[in-house]
Amino acid sequence: MRAVYKKELRSSFTTMTGPVAIAVMLFIAGYMFRTYNLANGLSSVIYAVFNSSLIFYFVVPILSMRVFAEERRQRTDQLLFTAPVRLIDIILGKYFALVTVFAVPVLVLCTMPVVLRPSGGSTPALDYAGILVFFLMGCAYLSAGMFISTLTENLIVSAILNILFVAVTMMIHNAYSMISGTVFTSMIFFVVLSFLIGIAVYAMTGFYWLSIGVLTVLAAVSLILSYMESGFITGSAEKILGILDFYSHFESFVYETFSLTDIAYFISAIAVGIILTHTSIVRRRWN
Amino acid sequence: MIEVRNLTKRYGNRIAVDDLNFTIGQGRIYGFLGPNGAGKSTTMNIMTGYLAPSAGDVLIDGVSIVDMPEKAKTHIGYLPEIPPLYSDMTVREYLSFAAELRKVPRRKIRERCDAVMADLSLVECADRLIRNLSKGYRQRIGLAQALVHEPETLILDEPTVGLDPKQIIEIRELIKKLGKKHTVILSSHILAEVSEICDTILILSGGKLKASGSPAELTKGQSGAIAVTVTSPADEKKILAALSPKLSKGQVRFSSDPAGLVRAEITIGEETVRNDPELASDPRRFVSGLLAQASCPYYSVEIMESSLEKIFLELTEEQETAAERKAAAEPENGKEAGE
Repeated sequence: MRAVYKKELRSSFTTMTGPVAIAVMLFIAGYMFRTYNLANGLSSVIYAVFNSSLIFYFVVPILSMRVFAEERRQRTDQLLFTAPVRLIDIILGKYFALVTVFAVPVLVLCTMPVVLRPSGGSTPALDYAGILVFFLMGCAYLSAGMFISTLTENLIVSAILNILFVAVTMMIHNAYSMISGTVFTSMIFFVVLSFLIGIAVYAMTGFYWLSIGVLTVLAAVSLILSYMESGFITGSAEKILGILDFYSHFESFVYETFSLTDIAYFISAIAVGIILTHTSIVRRRWN
Repeated sequence: MIEVRNLTKRYGNRIAVDDLNFTIGQGRIYGFLGPNGAGKSTTMNIMTGYLAPSAGDVLIDGVSIVDMPEKAKTHIGYLPEIPPLYSDMTVREYLSFAAELRKVPRRKIRERCDAVMADLSLVECADRLIRNLSKGYRQRIGLAQALVHEPETLILDEPTVGLDPKQIIEIRELIKKLGKKHTVILSSHILAEVSEICDTILILSGGKLKASGSPAELTKGQSGAIAVTVTSPADEKKILAALSPKLSKGQVRFSSDPAGLVRAEITIGEETVRNDPELASDPRRFVSGLLAQASCPYYSVEIMESSLEKIFLELTEEQETAAERKAAAEPENGKEAGE
């Protein structure tokens, strides 16, 4: 793990990716800090941090698009995967290197409450809780981005999928009412979801008939449920959409509620990303 | 020692490696020979643990690459077809990384890197970025990377592809040198290369092992006959007359070469060869002796190296047509097997 971590960190700074990602983050976070705290005199940095979440659109693709995609494209994955190292160590080494680069600007964010201190009225506990969640959210994005980079060897495709993922998780809360508002739209949502699961099953197992079967059963169940249990289906649609809702889990901190649930949510998201990365690479070995 | 047992690899409904079995002993150079798509690279990728087999196993010193990959991989150095180089690193950085990745003890890393760089004449470019180095250098860095942890077995996939003739000779010499200390397995689709470097040849085609043995064994195993070509300014009759004391008319086939000379292909039968050890050891002397006795002028007398080539072609062509026939007969079965 150490070897991979050191190599990744080095290459982040010998290529443009590390410095560019850090510069973009510092620029946007600095601008938000100036606007909310310095120009408008807010005592808490939480709004600046909250609005800085815009940077994930830029930083996540810059940092994570190449992680495995580039190794595969250059065939250097043959060196990594034929070395006497466990796959999970390679993945964690790479992941921690990403997190380290991301941590540099986050550490700079940590100086913001200190800067505000002399002017009085700062709420450091809340500020640092906000920065912590911001950091965890970034880590969750990097973990998802790493998984996305195992899906393709094309860096552009990898970057676009990364941006899409950030967009969906940041905006999905706006779509709640649209999708789960009526029984009909919820039903459509579940049928579409059944298709997506069917496609995923096919991609993971390669069994054509199994995926058709899964798809049919799921779609039928959603149709039947929409007739019999309309309350259940609208509620479940919202719950399922909620899985991808990074934004709301982040937002709760702005309203000064420190919630362990949200922290647990982001930590689970990190774990899921790492597990999916592992599964995706193992699967490619077997194909 | 490497044992390959019932190794099979399917990609969807295509079978890349089909129930392969062989054993590789210690301290020699082995060559995988086969046309493109014969399953050489796939086999090597499975032997090194990069790909997982659909069925079967590879044992490296008795350790299964499927069940205990970390342990099995320590014994192997692998140079894939495209050297796995990070172009933004210097040669020394790259080799240190490879060494650390291969679990070389920390205090020995520097020493090992210096040693392989010296062995492969990379010292002068130790601090240059890999990006700026030529193909020949890259291939040597790839070899250095495979050697840095002193593995017992080296697996080299098409080590001379894309190099210029001088570099090809250098790499071949290097492999011969390495073959004295390590077991080397290399793949190639160039017959001359394999027969020059390797002690043992494994001919692969359509994912199956068609034949194996030393170059001499392979040619002998097929038939004991020897073929010799003579080019001569004399006419066919004169040549036939000169050869007649020992050879019959049926053993000689004439053709003319572009320069207007007569080319005679002489096949010396298995029986004759076996009865005459002197002939077997030096067929050219035998033929030139006959021609000289009859004062028949000649420009060259050569042993036809194509005998190994012929065997190779026969084996691989036969395999291809058989595979095609099979694929045409049962396209659906193959698909289900792939799932």
